[in-house]
Amino acid sequence: MGTMPDISRRKLLVTAGAFGGGMALGIVAAEQADAAFLTPLPWGDADTAAGAELSPWIAIGPDNIVTVRVATPEIGNGVMTQAPMLVAEELACDWKLIRAEYAPTSRDYREDGVYRMGDGPIGYFSGRSTSSERMKLLLQVGASARERLKAAAAAAWKVPAAEIEARDSTLTHKASGHSATYGEFAAKAATVKLNAEPAPKPQSEWTLLGKASPPKLNIPAIVNGSLIYGMDVRVPGMVYAALRQSPVHGGKIGRFDPEPIRKMPGVLAVVTVDPDEPRAGLKLVTGFPYEDTHARAAVAVIAEHYWQARKALDALQVEWDDGAGAKWKSTDQMVDACVSALERKADSVEKQTGDVSILKNQDKVVEATYVTPFSDQAPMEPLNGTALVTADRIDVWHPAQQSRQAFLVAADESGMDPSKVFFHQTFIGGAFGRRIFADDVRMVVAIAKKFPGRPVHTIWSREEQTRQGKYRPLVAAKLKAGLDKTGLPAVFVANQASKGHFPRLADSPYALGCIPNVLVDVRKLPFHVVTGAYRGPGYNSYAFMVESFIDECAHAAGVDPLEYRLKLLAKWPDEGWTKCLKEVADKSGWGKTLPKGWAQGVAIANWGMNGKPQAGTTVAVVATVEVTNAGKLTVHQLDAAFDCGRIANRDAVENLAQGGLIFGLNMALNEEINVKDGRMVEGNFDQYPILRTGDTPKINIHFGGLSGHDRFSELGEPPAGPVGPAIANAIFRATGKRVRSTPLRKHDLSWA
Amino acid sequence: MAYKLTVNGLVHEIDADPSTPLLWVLRDHLGMTGTKYGCGIAQCGACTVHLDGMPTRSCQVPLDSAAGSDVKTIEGLSSDSSHPLQQLWVELNVPQCGYCQAGMLMAAAALLEKIPKPSDQDIDLYVDNVCRCGTYPRVRAAIHKAAASSKA
Repeated sequence: MGTMPDISRRKLLVTAGAFGGGMALGIVAAEQADAAFLTPLPWGDADTAAGAELSPWIAIGPDNIVTVRVATPEIGNGVMTQAPMLVAEELACDWKLIRAEYAPTSRDYREDGVYRMGDGPIGYFSGRSTSSERMKLLLQVGASARERLKAAAAAAWKVPAAEIEARDSTLTHKASGHSATYGEFAAKAATVKLNAEPAPKPQSEWTLLGKASPPKLNIPAIVNGSLIYGMDVRVPGMVYAALRQSPVHGGKIGRFDPEPIRKMPGVLAVVTVDPDEPRAGLKLVTGFPYEDTHARAAVAVIAEHYWQARKALDALQVEWDDGAGAKWKSTDQMVDACVSALERKADSVEKQTGDVSILKNQDKVVEATYVTPFSDQAPMEPLNGTALVTADRIDVWHPAQQSRQAFLVAADESGMDPSKVFFHQTFIGGAFGRRIFADDVRMVVAIAKKFPGRPVHTIWSREEQTRQGKYRPLVAAKLKAGLDKTGLPAVFVANQASKGHFPRLADSPYALGCIPNVLVDVRKLPFHVVTGAYRGPGYNSYAFMVESFIDECAHAAGVDPLEYRLKLLAKWPDEGWTKCLKEVADKSGWGKTLPKGWAQGVAIANWGMNGKPQAGTTVAVVATVEVTNAGKLTVHQLDAAFDCGRIANRDAVENLAQGGLIFGLNMALNEEINVKDGRMVEGNFDQYPILRTGDTPKINIHFGGLSGHDRFSELGEPPAGPVGPAIANAIFRATGKRVRSTPLRKHDLSWA
Repeated sequence: MAYKLTVNGLVHEIDADPSTPLLWVLRDHLGMTGTKYGCGIAQCGACTVHLDGMPTRSCQVPLDSAAGSDVKTIEGLSSDSSHPLQQLWVELNVPQCGYCQAGMLMAAAALLEKIPKPSDQDIDLYVDNVCRCGTYPRVRAAIHKAAASSKA
């Protein structure tokens, strides 16, 4: 293992550089045995671990502190707490002695993917602390460490290891009266080789997982303001860059004169980024191949302070060469292009079963076209990052959603060998897919390399972040169903058109067996607007379209929409779907009498099933809404039941489900990014509204849909899907108006 | 010229452009990064501080108008995270990503100082910060719990 003396020094400098309000933030793991669980500076420094390593994932110090390394960045979903809980379940350590830190990408690179183990290319992706392989791995390393601690104590005490009890970070041999802390035997245990790996205990014997919901490890540092997000990185000598990119995506810099702003206070440099300049061409191996990580044409002003950089940038006139994107004059023009494309031959077929040519022979044919708009992830922390490029190494401090991709993109952009790249994962102020690709890292490094020798912290303004998005794509789909004599669909056809396609419309029981004749096909549109991942990619559009359409079929068949879904899903070999529907119907009082103008709507969808029953997470939602005669929509209540198989942390699951529903609610009611003359229109929260406390309906999360199937699927993306269609379906029942596009706030819902 | 500013009880002299928003004075000039930049136009509330006791969006207060004022930031809400809201935020697992939560806490703390037993409507009005993770139900629950356990 190589040494990185510089990195420790830098870490301490960074620590010393952060101060405030008389409260020192500079606490590193070894010095804070009695403090909060997690240092405000989370980046791991696994070469100088405080303690003995029982695996690359676990170090135990002489002070009995257990440090767990976490590869999945904490984006608010609790992964940085859940991963240590998995280890602690088997290690039988005292939860109060647990610390968490990020698993360094440099070490992963040197040691052949040591921290991607279990999850391969997406082993560093934020979303997957309870993926089955990662769970198995972390339970196993916990069990292994525990048995090696016992073996070390057994050798010292000359007693059989089997007679030693390991509990609460203490090893005890009752018969001989010996007792010691894990810390006392950690160094010896690190040298023990077991003849056979211990089998982790059965789930029925778990004491922490599924039982406890401890406060997330990072919350103590959140509530006093000490947690270090990307925005909060302070490195000695650091300067700031304010950024402006081509307002038409894909455009280039035309002309600009930096001279007038060079003399403004604090200004150090004006630099440009050219997407076409040569780059290392490193071959990225990533779990997210759908989009590239390209740079955008940009001008950045570097100054001693951010506000100086911002003021100078605001004063800078830049003429842009807009390029081909400028031909898209309006959003309507782009929607029209999508909708017209639905009539042409498909570019590819995604799913074909049976014979859809019998559509016209059915008792009834239902047909409708749906559209969902470009939307921005809008994380609360605007994109930003800090990089220091020198002749022999590059350091990057960054809020990445997938650290390893960020590490490799930094290598590619700097031209440095990955062995000279040091990526320091910070905490993250929200991501929702925006920080997966590391295009932001590329920009940060592209700017810093033009100003080598000093750390450059590049900050996107909120307007820049919103207009330079990697958006949820604009999608149009024409859905057709042929209903047989029973009223159920015998044929289902989905023609879709979008840029930034995600092959997920057919990932539904309807297309995978419940409807016998299916065709799902795709047309690709050549839009310039950059698209990417947004909470539940593809799913967030298709759930709205398909679940609204199923309601249209139910209406055409004259069947209650809940009963209709139960009939349609009766054949599906995954009881979670019906359990969720029945649970949410029961708990929401489905069918109860409501005042005029009020109604309930239902929807159900699954994220992550990947073509299989009993996979991913199914969520059923009942929305209770009111629409006044004048058309004012109020969502009064959302009830949700879900099936992710089993749950490892009830409160964390509830928290994520609440947040996911609110995210889905905002997506459906409010979100839309428009285009005018090729440029993105909305820039800030005054134009891109986000719900607030007072806009939030009563939200009830029900646990009775859980099937108990042996999986612990994620809760981040799934709740966002069915909220919109449940509301749209309720609107139809309240007003008779069928809404086939979002955002819902733009529709005239008045009724008489 | 240098401006005087009292932050969490300590007097600072700050030599910066008078138009610099208090937010960036705190973050860049004083190194107090608990107060967050979210939107820069007083929409989101991530930058909420108490300015002479009033909850204020610091991105809209230029240094020259903040000068002479008494500022309290998240770092000064308590010296040891002992404010009832800070403790309840941990107990009820309120935050998700946490980025907006300093502003939430400062808004909520100001509300409780003004209205010790706030109604839901009071919370809607005074704690109208943006949270993209959707922690609103827990923010509301924590404020009510703090109010219920206070002696006021």
